[in-house]
Amino acid sequence: MSIEIKNDFGQIEISQDAIAQIAGGAAIECYGIVGMASKHQVKDGLSDILRKENFSKGVLVREKDGKVNIDMYIIVSYGTKISEIAYQVQSKVKYTLGKSLGMAVESVNVYVQGVRVATM
Amino acid sequence: MKTINGNQFAEMVQMGAHHLAQNAAYVDALNVFPVPDGDTGTNMNLSMTSGAAETATHTTEHLGKTAQALAKGLLMGARGNSGVILSQLFRGFGKSVEGYAEVTAEQFAAGLQYGVDTAYKAVMKPVEGTILTVAKDAAKKAVEAAKEVDAIDELMTIILEEAKASLKRTPDLLPVLKEVGVVDSGGQGLVYVYEGFLASLKGEELPEKTAGGSMDEMISAEHHMAIQGFMDTSEIEFGFCTEFMVRLDETKKSFDEGDFRNDLSVYGDSLLVISDDEVAKIHIHSEQPGEVLNYGQQYGDLIKIKIENMREQHTDLVGEQPKKQKTVKHPYAVVTVAMGTGVSELLKNLGASAVIEGGQTMNPSTEDIVKAIKDVGAERVLILPNNKNIIMAAEQAAELLEIEAAVVPTKTVPQGMAAVLAFNPEATVEDNKNSMTQAFAHVKTGQITHAVRDTSIDGVEIAKDDFMAIAEGKIILSTKDLEVAAKQLLESMVDEDAELLTILYGQDTTEAHAQELADWVEAHYPDVEVEMYNGKQPLYPYILSVE
Repeated sequence: MSIEIKNDFGQIEISQDAIAQIAGGAAIECYGIVGMASKHQVKDGLSDILRKENFSKGVLVREKDGKVNIDMYIIVSYGTKISEIAYQVQSKVKYTLGKSLGMAVESVNVYVQGVRVATM
Repeated sequence: MKTINGNQFAEMVQMGAHHLAQNAAYVDALNVFPVPDGDTGTNMNLSMTSGAAETATHTTEHLGKTAQALAKGLLMGARGNSGVILSQLFRGFGKSVEGYAEVTAEQFAAGLQYGVDTAYKAVMKPVEGTILTVAKDAAKKAVEAAKEVDAIDELMTIILEEAKASLKRTPDLLPVLKEVGVVDSGGQGLVYVYEGFLASLKGEELPEKTAGGSMDEMISAEHHMAIQGFMDTSEIEFGFCTEFMVRLDETKKSFDEGDFRNDLSVYGDSLLVISDDEVAKIHIHSEQPGEVLNYGQQYGDLIKIKIENMREQHTDLVGEQPKKQKTVKHPYAVVTVAMGTGVSELLKNLGASAVIEGGQTMNPSTEDIVKAIKDVGAERVLILPNNKNIIMAAEQAAELLEIEAAVVPTKTVPQGMAAVLAFNPEATVEDNKNSMTQAFAHVKTGQITHAVRDTSIDGVEIAKDDFMAIAEGKIILSTKDLEVAAKQLLESMVDEDAELLTILYGQDTTEAHAQELADWVEAHYPDVEVEMYNGKQPLYPYILSVE
């Protein structure tokens, strides 16, 4: 499944995987994020941090009436203000998708799947 | 000062928070990364204020406990990326000094380093060129310097210096900063906190509001903000970026920066005013740059004036196609005039860059010709009027144009065709004009058209709706029969020297008829090669050329 963008020259199809990778890449640049987690933690291993090629397991892209909604499953660093980090993820993902795809994102829902303690 | 205790540290925090608050707006303006929403200063300020408030209510002699309070306050009040990072830096610091009632320079440095380690642990992919880098560089320097420096205020001076130096380097690490021409906003915020720390240690007062960086940095930050705000060129409310300096003159209106800023603010936005006793530097986005300059002039001489049209700049920036597209299709062009799409096509195929619709009864104006040449984007141009009534207009157009232009005075389409063929893109305009004029000189043109009224010209009686045959501009006969007219015209034109006959047949005749004519020529003049084109020209059933 993919998202379609139409313009004067024709149409562009962007696969949900591609969108998931961009969104995931933007998210893990956010301060306080330890990684992306799988949506299905039981099935995919409870605390496994997803690698880039598996971002689609932790980033769910849905399209409805031309609007894109994104669910993100993340793991954050212990001792940080989680709500702020989640907000950073929302804003960065929205900004990055808007910038790189010209795509209007309606919502970015963040699910904090885990908290990692940084071992010193 | 060899050690600091909890109370002293609390004072440092208050001063740092206050100094950051004073400059939060400037930090906002620098905000490009990670998302350019211009709230880094606001966020850091809110975070730091929360930290300072918690510290104020839980200050003890014990430094470790005071630092814990700061960490807790920062964590609770953390806002934005930089706020969270700030909270991590002091969380680590707090952990490191937990057990100390007072710290030495070395312990203080170690605390900063532990803070940086903590902050880096909380991120998967640290981005260098941010507050993280500034904190890291400063802490590293602190640890090194603390081996030799005992005095904490002296150490803090070194830390601040390194933080500032690191801040200056941020554009080299983060391309987006370089692009906009600013330093990292979060890093700048941290520098303000450290400045507050140092001032507190030294017992100095900091200026209430520092200008914060150079005017140039502020201007690029303002520009950046302005551009971020508008995604569409048409939404730019104040179109002219106006910058100038006023050399303040005591004999003129007395200068008060506050009033000055207030007065100017009505003319636009993104206003920056920096002044000392001698000059005031002003930056403003305004729709009436002239008014702004007039206002400034009341205070003294204007120096270094720069006004830029931001709509044009923005158009470039966002990569929109400019409305008036000036693509240079043919830097060296032949522009000609013709009627009929077939003739136009033919001329273009022969090498004309543009063909202006026009000819008999609808002569293009000088303006039309100038416009056509500009549309082509020519830097050098030869104009072929193809009609004696257009030669004048073409000459005028050539004079009006600010480029090299010359008119090749063709009076008929066949002349124009011959001239276009002689065009040599390697030659100068002057040389082309000469060779093209020579090329069309030996072309004989014949035309057949309708008479619009009864008259007598050149001794030929003409009745309305007759076909008139015109050879080289001279009417040779008038008849009701198109075929008779065409054949007689050909007979008058084709002689022993004729090699090539070109027939352009128009809207008022048919291909079959033209073919008959061509066959007739081939039968009667076996040495002449015949070419036939559908010129689709109105009014002239036939345009003939003999070479």
